[in-house]
Amino acid sequence: MRWISFAFFNVCRNGRRSLFTILVATVAVAAILTTSGFALFTYQSLAEKAARDEGNFIITHQKFLKAEEDIPLQYGLSDIEKLIAQLETDEDIKSVLPRINFNGLVSNGEKSSIFIGLGVDPEEFMVKGPFLTMLEGKALSNFDNEGEAEVVLGKELARNLKVTVGDYITLMSTTTDGALNAMDFTIRGIYTTGVPDLDKRQLYVKLSDAQSLLYTEKVSSLSVYLFDISKTQQTVLDYQKRDQSLEFTPWWERAFYYQSVKDLYNRIFGLLGGIMVLLVFFSISNTMAMTVSERTREIGTVSAMGSYQWEIIRNFVLESSMIGFIGAALGIVASAFIAWGLVYLGLEMPPPPGSNQGYPLTITFSWEVAGIVLLTMVLVCVLAALKAAYKGSSKSITEALSHV
Amino acid sequence: MLKFSNIVKSYKTGEVVVDALKGVSAEIKKGETVALCGPSGSGKSTLLNICGLLDDDYKGEIWLAGKAVSKDKKVMTQIRREKLGFIFQRYNLIPVMSVYENVEYPLLMLNMNKRERMDKVVDIINKVGLKDHISKRPDQLSGGQQQRVAIARALVKRPEIVIADEPTANLDTSTANMVIDLMRDLGNDLGCTFIVATHDHRMTDRCHRVLNLADGNLSAFNPYETHRRAG
Ligand SMILES: Nc1ncnc2c1ncn2[C@@H]1O[C@H](COP(=O)(O)OP(=O)(O)OP(=O)(O)O)[C@@H](O)[C@H]1O
Ligand SMILES: [Mg+2]
Repeated sequence: MRWISFAFFNVCRNGRRSLFTILVATVAVAAILTTSGFALFTYQSLAEKAARDEGNFIITHQKFLKAEEDIPLQYGLSDIEKLIAQLETDEDIKSVLPRINFNGLVSNGEKSSIFIGLGVDPEEFMVKGPFLTMLEGKALSNFDNEGEAEVVLGKELARNLKVTVGDYITLMSTTTDGALNAMDFTIRGIYTTGVPDLDKRQLYVKLSDAQSLLYTEKVSSLSVYLFDISKTQQTVLDYQKRDQSLEFTPWWERAFYYQSVKDLYNRIFGLLGGIMVLLVFFSISNTMAMTVSERTREIGTVSAMGSYQWEIIRNFVLESSMIGFIGAALGIVASAFIAWGLVYLGLEMPPPPGSNQGYPLTITFSWEVAGIVLLTMVLVCVLAALKAAYKGSSKSITEALSHV
Repeated sequence: MLKFSNIVKSYKTGEVVVDALKGVSAEIKKGETVALCGPSGSGKSTLLNICGLLDDDYKGEIWLAGKAVSKDKKVMTQIRREKLGFIFQRYNLIPVMSVYENVEYPLLMLNMNKRERMDKVVDIINKVGLKDHISKRPDQLSGGQQQRVAIARALVKRPEIVIADEPTANLDTSTANMVIDLMRDLGNDLGCTFIVATHDHRMTDRCHRVLNLADGNLSAFNPYETHRRAG
């Protein structure tokens, strides 16, 4: 305690210089926490989106994700009623949504275009919440029109075909027998995903209609939603152990966008953080070198009185870790303020590559990251002080004492 | 108490070699106050540094209480910590510490308990007459007061030997006299041995013995004679 208070007085002794160093650490920590907070927020929203779009995990035929199908739904799941019933007895599972992935040609009678189709349970739109932005008409839902085949189209696809809500279009696809089949659909709505490439090709139909078109009872996959997304890993492991004939895949293995963004951001912000840490290291090294050299005679005095070198070094290490600690603590407070201020200001980020929708600039404040950054800063300061103090205290005592 | 024999020390600066001490020997008895005199550059500080175990780069031998002192860094540090006290020309108090803390410092290094430390520190601060300044910082004190704190700091652990290099050089005459008397009286009370480098005849007058250094060689003087010559 005594040494800590002496260290504090020594930090105050050259207040201006200490303050400057503290500020450097503050700015660095605030920058690190703000950028990493932004990355964290991005990861979280991408994770949420991925887990929402694909399900917390999906159940497929063993080969579905690994091999190309020769005919549609070759590696689909049959007999899903039983499987779904079984899954729905699990208390952790909120819902199970069957899905069909298919593709083919869409035509308005005069013009046709390739499409990527998703056959979904009408319930999907209820479970997943507003994951598509409807521009016109309504989403597919199971209120009415049980008999009528309906489709919602991506906005570019609709524009390309020059169709609008209420118009008819024809979908053509290969059936599971290898024959060609066509069906008429009424356009119920037009949406945008925010990703132009998807808007150009994608459409949604009801699962039952997709099954009629493909002439099958099978589905491509089952998307499973849990009440608690953090239980995904455990649940996947449990099910996979019980049933080897099916493949259970957690959302993050399917979230390629999430993974690549995460890799990219980790690299960019990691580099930035590294530079910040170096900056602090140089600044604190400089400060400690000056402090040690100014106090050469003091070092000589306490050495003469019988202080060991490590005792002298300890005092400088205490001083510099104090600077690091105060700086980092202020930086943490600053970044908390920034996080709060961003929510308050409601700034928008420009659309990411491959998208045409911006998103709110928000940063996630994480105590864990803050703690790690604080420790790193203190460690950096300790290293800098060790270096400077070791050098300063290695001088001969007589030389140190005659220092002016 | 302290004996040194055949101490040879030379400084090398580039090509130039200065023989600061050319084989000096002497013996200092317990409780003695010895002045080390000589013109500037005669090697006073050099000899004091060696006697105070601050310098291990010399030839010759030092005995403390009958035992030869090794040149091992750790051993030397431990002896300084336990048995030696230092008074410097420029006081060298630690600026962030109060008078009390400065004086307490050597006792802290001896791991003395708090109660005992406090008794000793308060006692010695009273003796050097700084009771009223006990919680002040060094920069709030005059030079004479600072040097009295330094004396208290050197004496508080009752060292066997106190080494002082020109302790009065920065002080005016009356303050210097006071500091000198204080050193001698306290030293006598505590039975400390003093070795003081000085050109100050005020100092040499008050010493038991004067060792005179000239050109790296030592010769003994009678203090009375020194006084007469200086006068
Ligand atoms: N660090 C050093 N490097 C080189 N030469 C030195 C060094 N210290 C002292 N000397 C030389 O050694 C000799 C003795 O110096 P010393 O400081 O011991 O003298 P002194 O008697 O204490 O002088 P003063 O009364 O001025 O303090 C001088 O010639 C000095 O130039
Ligand atoms: Mg000298």
